[in-house]
This record gives sequence, structure tokens and C-alpha cells, in this order.
Amino acid sequence: MASQSENPVKDKHLLIAVDESDSSRRAVLYVADFLGGFPGFKVSLLSVIPEPEQDFYETEAELKVWVEEKLEKANAMLQNYKTILMQSGFPEDKVRYRACVGDAKSLADAILSIRCDLTCCTVVVGRHHKAKAEEFLFGSTSNRLVHEAKNCAVWVVE
Amino acid sequence: MGTESAAYSEKDLLRMIRKWVPRERVPKRVKVKDTADFFRVDYDDVVVLEDVPYFVRNNEREGRFGIDDEQKFWVKRARNLLSGDVKILKWVFRERFEARIGDLVFECVRSPQKEARILELVSGKPAFMQGKTVLDTAGNQLRILDYIKGKTLGQVAPELGSNHEDYFHNHFPALLREFMRLTEAIRFLHDHNEKHGDIRRDHIIRDETTGHYRWIDFDFNYRHGESRFGYDLFGLGNVLLFLTGRGDVTTYRLLREAPEVFERLIEGDVNIVFQNRVNNLKKIYPYIPEKLNRVLMHFALSAPVYYEETQELLDDLGEAI
Repeated sequence: MASQSENPVKDKHLLIAVDESDSSRRAVLYVADFLGGFPGFKVSLLSVIPEPEQDFYETEAELKVWVEEKLEKANAMLQNYKTILMQSGFPEDKVRYRACVGDAKSLADAILSIRCDLTCCTVVVGRHHKAKAEEFLFGSTSNRLVHEAKNCAVWVVE
Repeated sequence: MGTESAAYSEKDLLRMIRKWVPRERVPKRVKVKDTADFFRVDYDDVVVLEDVPYFVRNNEREGRFGIDDEQKFWVKRARNLLSGDVKILKWVFRERFEARIGDLVFECVRSPQKEARILELVSGKPAFMQGKTVLDTAGNQLRILDYIKGKTLGQVAPELGSNHEDYFHNHFPALLREFMRLTEAIRFLHDHNEKHGDIRRDHIIRDETTGHYRWIDFDFNYRHGESRFGYDLFGLGNVLLFLTGRGDVTTYRLLREAPEVFERLIEGDVNIVFQNRVNNLKKIYPYIPEKLNRVLMHFALSAPVYYEETQELLDDLGEAI
């Protein structure tokens, strides 16, 4: 924050929401290629684990183990993506990451809520190539982001 | 943490059984079984739950995915020996499996706690089966459900009317009103952040005592994606399509029975998931109102947008009625 107050131009803040999919990896690589090495940008990498329903687990302990494993995996993935962004020219202090369990109604809502908290101007996601039937039954996070986002841009990376 | 009582002697139980069961069905001996293991509870046994003795009859059966009469060993019909009421006893049976619809595979679970939760939520609501949850001797949630005498919606609809046109004009309007009532009931679940989980026409029973339909079986849950209730809405769409068509109208059936109609179909006219089912029923039955057909087309392969909320479906049906 100290560096920001010295710098009259505030960094543009991007939120890259990722999961373990290839499309998320493409989204990170796109930002690395597109903005890596340019000043004036900072990135928050985010992995939201959909809140698991207790019904899928026999005990609280089993659920807790599942969540811990997921968070550990997500943090390792985010660290890896942070390295990719740094290798493309982002300074280390301009890349942050966070893994959390989303308790919102949907993943897109959780991402938009965190975007709001972090005051990011742009949300970047990868587009999963779903069959029409799958999108119909289980929805599409990128689609919902595009429709629900307010006061920000959404980049959906193919 | 048991709930059994040893308050009933064999003599007492046989006396009570004789009160409710025809003479030829009364066993010579009767055993009170522990409730912890459903496999040890057999026909003619008695289980005691919260001091009430239940005389156990057959396992329930379910036709699912083409396997008719699949026995559910953990679901047994029983008679409450104090009141004479027929009940369904549903033991804990956890199941985690991958469901498959076409090429889609998704994780599902059979969860007794989900059903127990919903039973409490819908207590007193006539659009749902009723029941309560007690603990068996192992501390598991055993559900005692009211037995609903009647046919499933899947059995009722195709039997109504002399042909589709007669059915559509004289029986379908009442069924559509019932369907809207049932959809309102699902909206109630969704408003409380609960899914039904397994919406299909044989999970709706017409209660002979009231003439109204009730949802049954709330123990399924599916791992949802972005859309929490999408799979439930898909189920509602399938039921509506079945009701409107007075059964499933398949491309195979059309090709055989009305090839000239089949020729008029285009790719987008079929169901988005079950692509052998026709959604554009107006092409087959021209008297189906456009607004109703438009609702059906929200579940078709050509649909540009899908329902995300039960209320959206209800609003469109309200206009179509």
C-alpha cells in the first residue's frame, strides 16, 4: 500500500478466478502473455472451492478433511500460477493469491463478491467447453459472470 | 442411543396383529428384531420404534432406469400395531454413485439426513409425503413415512382420455393445475435452499384419499455446478413434457406411427438431453397453445436460454394456462 501512495497512478487490479481445469490455465497464460512486463497492473489469483454439501459426507470430520485437501491442492496450484505470472514479468509484490470455500449461492456470485471486496476492475476466467446439455443441467460460471457482473469488465478466455 | 422398548410380550403382539391383519396372514410366532440392521429384519417380524410396535411386511420396490421391481431392502412396508396405519420404514442406506444421463456423468448421493431434513421442512404440506425421523438402536436416522395409496403420475396420465385430443381438452387442464401446484412445492424447497434431487413422474403419487398429488423420495442429492437447481428444473421439464404429450413422444414412435410428422421435425425440436424425445409437441398436436409449447421448447435442443429458477417456469406456465 505504501508504494501505491507514492505512485500517483493506481495499479489496475485484475482478478483471475481459476480451478484445476486447462481452461483456467489458459486464462492465466493469456494474462501473462498480454500484460506480463507492463507496469501498472496487479493480479489476484483466486480459487473458490464450491461449498460442499454435508449430505455427501457421513461425518463433519470427513467433510473437514475433504475441504483441507482441496484447499491444499488449490494453494499449490495458485503458487504455480503465481510463478508463471512472475516469469512473464509481473513483480512478486503485484501477484497475490487466495483459496477459499465459497458459501454463496453460486461460484460466480462468490467470485463477484470477492471482486467487490478486492475492488478489482476486471475478472478473468477460462471458458470451459461444455456440451449444451451439461450447461443446461449444471449451468456455466463464465456465462453467469458475464450476465451478473456490475462495475467491472469480464474477460472470458477461450 | 436406542429407542426400542421391550414392553410388548409375544402374546400382546400377536393379539394386536390379529386386530389388523387377516387371520390367514397372522404368523404363529413373532419376533421383535433389533432395528440396527435392516438385513436382519424380515417379513412377519416386529420392530419397536419410540415404543410403537410395527409389524413388518414386504420390502418396497422401485422401477428405475428400466430395471423394474428393484427391491429396496432398506425400505419396508409395516403396520403400526397401535393405530393400524400402514407405514413405510426407511432405514439408513448410504450410497454414493455416479449417475449417467446420456454422455453426462455426475456424482450423486443417497442421504438419509437430507430426507430427514426435508421431512421436517415440509411437515403438514399436502404436496409432499409426510413422515418423521427416529433413531434406530445404532443411532441412525430411520424414517417412518405415511403410506400413500394411489398411482404415480406416470401411471395416471396415459390412462386418461380416449385419444390425445380428448385427453388434452378434457383432462390435461386439471393435470396442468396439479403440475403447477407441484412446481410451487418444489419452489418452496428451493426457497429453503433444498433440492428434491430426483424429480421424475414416478416420484409423484396421486393420494387416493385427497385426489391430490404428492412428491415422494427426498433422499437423493446431486453435486451441482453453477446452477444449484438446474437438474431439478430439468426433471420438472420432463414431467411437463410427459403430461403434455400424454406419455413420451419419441422420434422412434413418430417414425413408425406418423412418418409424415417425423419428416417435419428439425434437430432443435428434440429434448436437450434425451434426444429421442420430441419437445416441439405443437408440430404433432397443433391444438397445443403456442405459449405452452414455448415453455416446452425451453427444454429443447434449440433453446437459446434456460430456466434457472422455478419461479420463471411458474410465471410462463401461468401465462400459458
